[in-house]
Amino acid sequence: MDELRAAIEAVLFVAEKPVTVGDLARATGARPRDVEHALAALEELRASSGLRLQRDGDAWRLVTSPESARAVTAYLGADRLRISHAALETLSVIAYRQPATRADVESIRGVNCDQTVETLLARRLIEEVARADRPGRPILYGTTWEFLECFGLSSIDELPRVLTPEGERLDEATPREFAEPIE
Amino acid sequence: MMESRSPRVSVEGFEGPLDLLLELIEEQRLDVLTVRLGDLADAYLTRVRGLAELPAEEVALFLVLASRLVLIKARSILPQATTEELESAGADEAELRQRLLEYQAVRERAAALRARLDEGRRAFHREGGTPVELPPRGGDSGALAAAWQKVLELARSAREQEMVTPVERYSVEERATEIEELLHVRQAVSFSTLLLERPTLRFAIVTFLAILDLFRRGAIDLEQEALFDDITVVRRGVNRTSG
Repeated sequence: MDELRAAIEAVLFVAEKPVTVGDLARATGARPRDVEHALAALEELRASSGLRLQRDGDAWRLVTSPESARAVTAYLGADRLRISHAALETLSVIAYRQPATRADVESIRGVNCDQTVETLLARRLIEEVARADRPGRPILYGTTWEFLECFGLSSIDELPRVLTPEGERLDEATPREFAEPIE
Repeated sequence: MMESRSPRVSVEGFEGPLDLLLELIEEQRLDVLTVRLGDLADAYLTRVRGLAELPAEEVALFLVLASRLVLIKARSILPQATTEELESAGADEAELRQRLLEYQAVRERAAALRARLDEGRRAFHREGGTPVELPPRGGDSGALAAAWQKVLELARSAREQEMVTPVERYSVEERATEIEELLHVRQAVSFSTLLLERPTLRFAIVTFLAILDLFRRGAIDLEQEALFDDITVVRRGVNRTSG
């Protein structure tokens, strides 16, 4: 098991893109179920290190830990993401309800969202994930790896849950929230 | 919540009709769940009047919501309202309340995301991927030696040319025309043949650029069997699939 865990870590280290469980299984010659167990073990092992596992659907990759962001940012000279209030609202609708269409966002925010959707697309915080199965087949948007990265989340399950005085009732108001993560 | 306390003096401060209505409710410390929305109609209209600088299209959105509020209010205070009217007014208000709640949740979430962003606790992935540059497949040390030999020869001849011959004036267009004429006679010619025996650096570059230009114009096709192999220049339209 330790051997498999180490092999998976090594593959994730050299991988240029997120790696699916299937690809990890093929590379290591292990069964997908064992790969998943090993990934869980690796996740635990990495929790106290400078690296973390990040997951979207069944694809995984190694990223730096949010705790070390300051040092990495200083080293890379990276800029902090600047994002307008309007764009952030649009992003939050898409992030929490994904997949969502422009119309979904507009009906919730009550304003035209073309501009903000374009901005988010250009910054690769969101992307097209599919087409909705309804008239006009509108584009469905979901969040990207860049989104997880920018907000230091290991998966969309980690989105901050907002507790307002109306907490529970709010969740009733948006039953589609926390739907199945997109593959 | 802190987000909404920020000063919102400019009209740009309001993200939209729902945002403005939510502002009013929060300013008056009312609860979205219990506030009588019709009661807000007057205050809302006053605010909308201040939005004159907005483009008409956007003001229209605010007016739509304002008229809904007025309608809700009117229905609730009209004594002669029928049960049916009261019901539809109730449904209308409930629907609007629902949207407000939903939007309120979105604003809270946006604020939570903002907080995360401001903390700067982000993650980074490794840029550029594979750290090890794998050598091209099929290369061997012999080929490498031969290539190095060619480079040396080219450099030597370039030096000689520099010393002996005056700089030739050869344009890419001229060379392209030459190659095209050559290809009228032969169907294909290799790049090394085009380079002649001992090309000067300039001649080699001009020839290479001429080939690129011909390819761009669709006059020729280029074939290369393997990495570092000689390039074959083929007249466009000639079928050489046999390889």
